[in-house]
Formats: sequence, C-alpha cells, structure tokens
Amino acid sequence: MMTSPGLGIRLLAFNPARLLAAFAGIAVAVVIMFVELGLLVGVLDSQAIMADLVRGDLVMMSRGRTNLHKFNDFDRIRLSQIAGLSGVGEIIPIYQGTAGLESPEDEVIRRIMVVSFPAGHTPLAIGDEDEIARQLATPRTILYDRRSRPIFGNIVVGEDVELDGALYRVGGFVDIGPDIVNDGAVVMSEGAWLMRRPNARPIMGVIRLLAGADVAQVRERIVAALPDDVSVLTPVEVRDREVAFTLSSAPIGVLFGIGMLAGLIIGAITCYQILFNEIVDRMKQYAMLKAMGFSDAFLRRVILAQAVLLSCGGFVLGLGLAYSVYAYIAKETALAVQLSLTSGGIIFALAAGMSIAAGLLAVRRVRIADPAELY
Amino acid sequence: MTVALAMHDGLDRPPVKATGTAVRIAGVSHSFDKGDHKKPVLSHVDLTLKHGELVILTGPSGAGKTTLLTLVGTLRKLQAGSIEVLGTELLGLSARRQRQIRRRIGFIFQDHNLFDALTVFQTLKLASELADRRPGRSEMLDRAVEILSALGMEEYLHRRPGQLSTGQKQRVAIARALINQPKLILADEPTASLDLKASNAVIDLIKQRIKGQQASALMVTHDHRIFSVADRVVHMIDGQIAGQSFGFP
Repeated sequence: MMTSPGLGIRLLAFNPARLLAAFAGIAVAVVIMFVELGLLVGVLDSQAIMADLVRGDLVMMSRGRTNLHKFNDFDRIRLSQIAGLSGVGEIIPIYQGTAGLESPEDEVIRRIMVVSFPAGHTPLAIGDEDEIARQLATPRTILYDRRSRPIFGNIVVGEDVELDGALYRVGGFVDIGPDIVNDGAVVMSEGAWLMRRPNARPIMGVIRLLAGADVAQVRERIVAALPDDVSVLTPVEVRDREVAFTLSSAPIGVLFGIGMLAGLIIGAITCYQILFNEIVDRMKQYAMLKAMGFSDAFLRRVILAQAVLLSCGGFVLGLGLAYSVYAYIAKETALAVQLSLTSGGIIFALAAGMSIAAGLLAVRRVRIADPAELY
Repeated sequence: MTVALAMHDGLDRPPVKATGTAVRIAGVSHSFDKGDHKKPVLSHVDLTLKHGELVILTGPSGAGKTTLLTLVGTLRKLQAGSIEVLGTELLGLSARRQRQIRRRIGFIFQDHNLFDALTVFQTLKLASELADRRPGRSEMLDRAVEILSALGMEEYLHRRPGQLSTGQKQRVAIARALINQPKLILADEPTASLDLKASNAVIDLIKQRIKGQQASALMVTHDHRIFSVADRVVHMIDGQIAGQSFGFP
C-alpha cells in the first residue's frame, strides 16, 4: 500500500540534488535559530555561572546586590550571627573584586575578576577540592581560570604573574568561565585577599546545612535572626533571579528572539518556496489524482509529509552545522554556548512547526489543481 | 432497452434500480465566462450510453465534446440539465459524492500525467488505492502484469516514465485507468500518441473490459482507425449533437 506520506517522500526524494539543496536551505534557518538560542542561553548561563557553581544549600548576599555583577558586600558579622542556629553546618565567605593582571606575553595589564575564599573551604564547584585547598594554603599562590579568554596570554602553572603590581605564583587551574562582563578570573585565599584589601567584606556567604536539616525551615530561622540588610536565597533562586535580571535589564531576550524569528521566517519562506515549486512542477499529476478520486485531504497529507521530510533533513543538516558554529563561538567568546537536548528539542519543534505552516500554505496551491483542465 | 437488474452504485445509500443505462444526459447546456459575457459551448444535449456500449464522440474543434466528457466525469459543475452516471444524478452532488463517482470511472487523457518518481508498478499500485477492495501485493502484481501484458508493456513494470517512450507512457496511463475495472471509461484521444499496433491493443483491451465487465466507454477521438470498433459514433457540432452512426462492428 502506498500511503500519502510515502508518495510525498518518493516525489521529493526523486531528485536528490534538489532535495539536498532544499535541506541546505532549511538548514540555514535551523543554524540561525540554533545560534540565536545558543547565544541567548550561553549569555544567561554565563551571567549566572557563580550561582551554578555554589556548593551549598543557601546563599547570603547583601539585599542591595540585585544581581551577581553588582559587588555590594555585607558585614562579615552576619555570617557569625547565624553560626549557632539549628541546622546550620558550615558558612563560607566569598570575596570578589577585580585586579590588573599583567600578561606575561605582551606585558599589557588587563582587568581580571578575583574570587577569594578561605583555603580549605572551597564553596564553589571549580575543580578538585583537595588540590584547591592545598594550593591556596601556599602563600602568594593563585589559581588561574583556564576558561578565561585568551587575552591574558598563555599562563602556565608555576609561572609568576603580577596582580596590581604584586607577584603571585600560578599554582594550578580552576574552571569558572567568563561572562559578558568579565574576561577571566583568578582564585586566591581569603588571607591573600585580605592582605591586599584589609577592609574587604564578603559579597556572598555560602551556607551548608547539617545533614537532614530542612532548607526552608533553616532559612526561616536565618532570616529571623538577621536584620534585613541581607537576603538568603537558594542557589537556584539566585540563578533564576540573575536570569530574570539579565533579561529585564538588557534587551538580549528581544534581540535574540528577533534573531530566532528571522530564522523562522527565512526557513518558512524557503520551505514554502520549495514545496510551491514542487507542486507547480507536478500540478497536472496532482490534478490527475483529483480526477481519479483522491481527496484534498490525501493531497494535503502528501504535501505535509514533504514538509516534515524537509524539516527533518534540514534539522539534521543544520544540527551538524550548528555544532561546528557553536564550537567556533565557544572558542572565540569563551561563553557557555553548547548544544543541549532541550535546545535541540526546541529548535526541532520550531523547524517542524515552520515547515508544516509552510506546507499548509502550499497546500492551498494544490487544492486549486483543476482536473477539468486535463482534457 | 431496459434491463431490470438491481445494482449497488457504490455510494453511501441504498442500491438503485439500474435500467441498463450507464450514462443518461438530458437537456444539458453549458457555457463559459468570457469576460463580461458567457460563451455557450453545449446546448440542450441529450445522449444515453448503455452498459457494454462504446460510444465515440467526434466533431470539429470547439464542438463541445471535451466539455461534455468533463461534465460526465464530474470534473466540471453541471449548470443546466441532468446527467445521471452509473445511477447517480450529478446535479447538486456534493464534492465527496463526486469523488466516489470518479473512483468508478477510468479517465484517459491526452497527456499521460504520470509521476516521474513512480515506476509503472507504483503508478498502478497508487491507482489501486482507490479500489473498493485493495488488492494485496501479490494480487496487485498479478493484476499489473495482466493488464500490462494486454498492452505489450509487461517488461516495463519497474521502469519510470523517464525510461519510457511517449506511446509507452500513454499505455501506462491507460493501464492506470483500467486497473480498478471501472464501470465507465472516459477517454480523450487515447490513441493519439500510439502506432497502429498499440492503438489496436488499447482498443481491444477497452472492448474486452467493456464486454467482460458490463462497463461502458465514452471516447472523444478523431482517429478513424478505431471508428470501426465503436457501437455508435456521435457527431457534435456547435455544442449540439448533429447525428449518430450505428452498426460499425
């Protein structure tokens, strides 16, 4: 039995060169959508990277710190105030600031983010905890973020680098990653940071709860015990807040959304054009089918099967291209741009929807095929 | 002649009493829009086609032969008069019912209108999707070989139109029209692109199908070679039937 999808696919596949060109056309739209979505997700992920890296149950921050790129600090005493509360296990302060790092290659000084915490209490998932503790316990040792943008030069372990004129030895590497504000980072111990800035105050306190403690209940106790100059959030809430802030404060959602829409429209027009040409070329044959007694619904299924085939082929080709483009973008920008099942699913749904919409438009053409014109 | 046999017309309604008439055309007039005026092409045409009859429509270009064929085939909407095809009145028939009627008609056009992507077998298989009872693959293959053999085409079963001559394509189109054993065959110059031998094979097959299955055929042709096999030749001029000739066989 030859089904309508079977007929549609046979007709489209009959001219492989034309089919490949059609796939390529759809693939361009798919790549555009992938890149736009990838950049959007990459920027949002990069902006919220510190929240994702937190190894703890709750995070204390200044109430004035409405986003992770605002360095409002708070009084360290706030951390001590909650140390005795039921359910609270460990509290680790994190300091953050910037320093001028002189590139060992071109000796140009560029700003780099400095993250600091007590040696032996690593509050972030940035590498091997023991190794980080061991290195940070060594005086004047820093750890360099290997995912920093290459503008800082080729920094190697054991090398001495200058931070604001002071020499530090690079003891190893961590994995943090830049965002659209910071190009890179180094990590140093709380002691080393306080030596540079004796009056520094933490910008974040990572709170680890005792085993079995209820996060919501402990948070209530913490909030009740502290004045309202600090807020206490879970890492997920910090991330969500950061994403919401980025989307609301910068027009990237709109920009990338328009980019995706452009890809969608390009894809729909391409798909429509391909299907339209396919129909026009076979108008007499479609009219013949109608004369024989095939219904408009049968013809609609033929065209929609072609639309689905185009979207599948275009998606697969586009996915391959997007993989290469993502690798290039990640290399050039060091942003967390990567293919995920979710983004793949979103783009496939958009590509399929776009092709089906184009197919439904093209179906109107086949519906006017007049079998009376065959005689 | 009135044959009082009960037959089902294949539609969603009770069987009708057949009168032995495959097509009854009564008082049919038709005109086409030509800008702000109408150009009449058929005027009060009356014609009856009995079961088992092969009728040839002939006449000069513009006489209305093709328009009459499209009206009988429900490819065009009936404007005035009455046409009854296989026991069903076409006037006011819904699109769905028109499709059901068309599935019982074998259409043969001047152009083959074959899909370039489908082999001969696939073309026939696609047509068989419309049959009341869809044949299995083995039965389909037997049917296809049988009908193609009758047309001298059995060796081309797995060829695509691009690998066939014009005459061969036309014979495939004829096989497609006949594969579901239609009760009515409507053909427009079916032998125009065929040599004498192929023409004879086509006409023999149509005649055989007509006699064997109580089917009928209405054929527009200027090919005098096949006038001799017709039961009647109807002459049309200026949208009207000018006369009929009988008794060729």
